[in-house]
Amino acid sequence: MDSQIRSIHQQLVNKDITCTALVQEKLDLLAKNSHNTVNSLLIDTALKAAKKVDDKIANGEEIGLLEGIPFGIKDVYMVQGTVTTASSKLLKDYKSAYTATAIQKLLDAGAIPLVKENCDSFGHGSSSENTIFGAVKNAKNPELVGGGSSGGSAVNVALDYTVFSIGGDTGGSVRQPAGYNHVYGLKPTYGRISRYGLMAYASSTDCVGPIAKSVEDIRIVLNVMSGKDTKDQTTYASAEISEDSLASSDSIKTVGYFKNFIENDAIAPKVKADFLAAIEKIKAKGIEVKALDFFESNTLVSTYYTLAMAETASNLSRLDGTNYGNRIEAENLKETYAVTRSENFSEETKRRIVGGNQVLSQGFSDEIYLKGLALRDAISNNFEEDFKAVDVIISPVTPNTPPKIGDSLKDPLAMYLSDAYTVGFSLGQLPTLTVPQGTETGLQITAAKNNDELVLKFANFLKDTI
Amino acid sequence: MSKIMTVDVLSSIKGAQPSEAVSKLFEVIKNANASHNNAFNNYHNSVSLDDLRDDVVIDSPDSEKQIIIENFPKEKNGYLVVSKVIEE
Repeated sequence: MDSQIRSIHQQLVNKDITCTALVQEKLDLLAKNSHNTVNSLLIDTALKAAKKVDDKIANGEEIGLLEGIPFGIKDVYMVQGTVTTASSKLLKDYKSAYTATAIQKLLDAGAIPLVKENCDSFGHGSSSENTIFGAVKNAKNPELVGGGSSGGSAVNVALDYTVFSIGGDTGGSVRQPAGYNHVYGLKPTYGRISRYGLMAYASSTDCVGPIAKSVEDIRIVLNVMSGKDTKDQTTYASAEISEDSLASSDSIKTVGYFKNFIENDAIAPKVKADFLAAIEKIKAKGIEVKALDFFESNTLVSTYYTLAMAETASNLSRLDGTNYGNRIEAENLKETYAVTRSENFSEETKRRIVGGNQVLSQGFSDEIYLKGLALRDAISNNFEEDFKAVDVIISPVTPNTPPKIGDSLKDPLAMYLSDAYTVGFSLGQLPTLTVPQGTETGLQITAAKNNDELVLKFANFLKDTI
Repeated sequence: MSKIMTVDVLSSIKGAQPSEAVSKLFEVIKNANASHNNAFNNYHNSVSLDDLRDDVVIDSPDSEKQIIIENFPKEKNGYLVVSKVIEE
């Protein structure tokens, strides 16, 4: 099976390359920061780790599959001793005191982190323009956005600056940039990977997600990061997904898609035509395809943003210059809080905090927040019914191709609506993978909760089908 | 004794105003049909009582303490200065 990780592993074992040369080459590429993907480089620790791998190989010791594989980390993960900014002014000097569980598992497996990657500040955005490190440029066309919020991670993988990267997906932040840059990006089932050490945006949908160039690499990295963690009590124990299990997709007999995603005015004609052509190719393989009813896009987007804003207003209240962040002193404590937050948060982050406090306040909470929760229940129930009728659901990743840099900032509502196809699966906490096929920004494959394996199986099947 | 708090006070953000884009999202929710109105979550992320983690104090390693100190660089009489937090 096609795998960048396996291929590099073999080159290291065969002594075709040294780990030090590999890491140095990637660091040199990243140092140019040609696409604004880099918030900070982890040069010393990476080169030290690479030397250890080379010494092991020289001594004839065996190395693990991930040992010596260079990777990137979205700058919202704690990695002890590294500056973790969330691409924000507030945390531009904040140093992580500990390491996130998901990242620690990769370190324990011997993978080598090279870079903390640019993203939308606190995950607030769909274009990676809401950042103090400059807008991330698309890997295919640098005049376009890299997507977001894990834009730096997707672009680094697409350009081979990292072999894989770890993004974070709350409403589409791994899947959409993966689609915009033609790579794979997985949002696993909520709770499969520990969120401990991932800076919280909306805790009820935040997911750790790998971005890579092959289904096999996604599988390898997912297996390493998965598992129950007492430090995140929403995690659950999951079985390892074997390489062999992906070889056959015989268990997938019925595929669904949402009619209203395709039959509306918001979708670009070419995305629609390409999606329908992909459906025909799947049918030609003898798989039954069913058109399903679903909620209107604007209901999905509004429900997601209402709940996400409420959660982020709460999560970010600790960023007051006392518990965390760059404090700006004023005449009294309350003024200190207010000045610190006003000066250090971006416009988009402020918009979301204010929106969240609005919906949580008296008079609004019943009418908006509680109704949003009820809508979320209805959306989840809808998915449960759908997965009685179909094995997987496929959808476009986005209605349109990536916008030009600068356009999303002018029209926040349009940016929110561009998330129409990704947010529903976040609310349902379902495993969903972007594959770089089918439409200009890829396809999403979704299965029922805890069925991440089926998603990867179908992705493997699609590789040779469309 | 109800005191109206505006969003700028609630958010600790000076001059904050509700935004037009976000208000449009809320209008959609207000007008949406939700089949049931007070259901509290289907997501079953709760933890069983048998599965709670031990209630123990775990001392942070020195490396972690050192970084926490670096994040709060002000010191007075051997204590970290974080801020005055009680004022009224």
